[in-house]
Amino acid sequence: MSQRLSRRSLARYAADQLLGGSSAKSVARHLAAALITSHSQKAASLLLDDINYELQSRGHLASATVTSAYPLSTSLKKEVTSLVKKLAQVRQVVLAEQIDKTVIGGVRIQTAEGTWDKTVSAELSRLKENI
Amino acid sequence: MLKLAPQFAEASDPATGIGAFNINLKSFIFQLITFVIVLLVFKRWVLPPLLKTLEDRRQTLENSLTQAQETQEALARAEAKAEEILARARVQADEALAEAKKSGEAVVASAETAAEQRAALIIKEAEARLMSERTKLHQELKAELADLVANATETILRQKLDEKTDRKLIEQSLREIA
Repeated sequence: MSQRLSRRSLARYAADQLLGGSSAKSVARHLAAALITSHSQKAASLLLDDINYELQSRGHLASATVTSAYPLSTSLKKEVTSLVKKLAQVRQVVLAEQIDKTVIGGVRIQTAEGTWDKTVSAELSRLKENI
Repeated sequence: MLKLAPQFAEASDPATGIGAFNINLKSFIFQLITFVIVLLVFKRWVLPPLLKTLEDRRQTLENSLTQAQETQEALARAEAKAEEILARARVQADEALAEAKKSGEAVVASAETAAEQRAALIIKEAEARLMSERTKLHQELKAELADLVANATETILRQKLDEKTDRKLIEQSLREIA
């Protein structure tokens, strides 16, 4: 008798496995099987977000997407990494850099638990709203 | 008769008695008898119908007078009644006029009040509409101004913000976040 697992449960299971030393490939295989069995293949992206959240909430790993108009220098990346460690209270940080000219300037940091938007475009939007 | 004759004969003596009046006794007696007969006849056959006719006439006149008097009284009563009816009608007409005037005044007052209320409502609605339009225009103006400022700022920043300046901006932003 098959029991359908929730996405949250799967995320917890994956975090447990990864933190327990299982290889990412093995965990990914198990998750794929679970998604196929429950016909929830479309939820794969959301499941990854949930796993990130689980890992971050356990203080182990935070995945952060950093968006800026120009590529970040190495020193800036280090600053961002240490900042995210501090904000998310995790031991490791994985940065995903994203270049977007529409932000004009500044930086936007997105993690599983929150977003810090200090881009010029966001400031302009806030200015519009305030006016 | 024969006994009387000498007396009449005596009386007819031209010098004394009735003869002194120069009256013919026979003629007198005859006329007296005739008069009596005529009187009797008159009394027997003429006088009663005449009296009856006169009585009838008197009765008729009396009736006519009575009727005339009654008619006059009835006329007087009718006139009094008519006068009373007229007076009552006048009073009623006056009352009706007063009532109509009062009612008309009430209607006019009510219409005036309604018109005033309607006018006040229209003014209030117009003011509310004007205020709404004003607020809307104000908001649109503010939105346009905000767009204008934001667009102008964006244009200037796009021109002025190079990689070096952006790095400084990012460093400042990171300090703010921390």
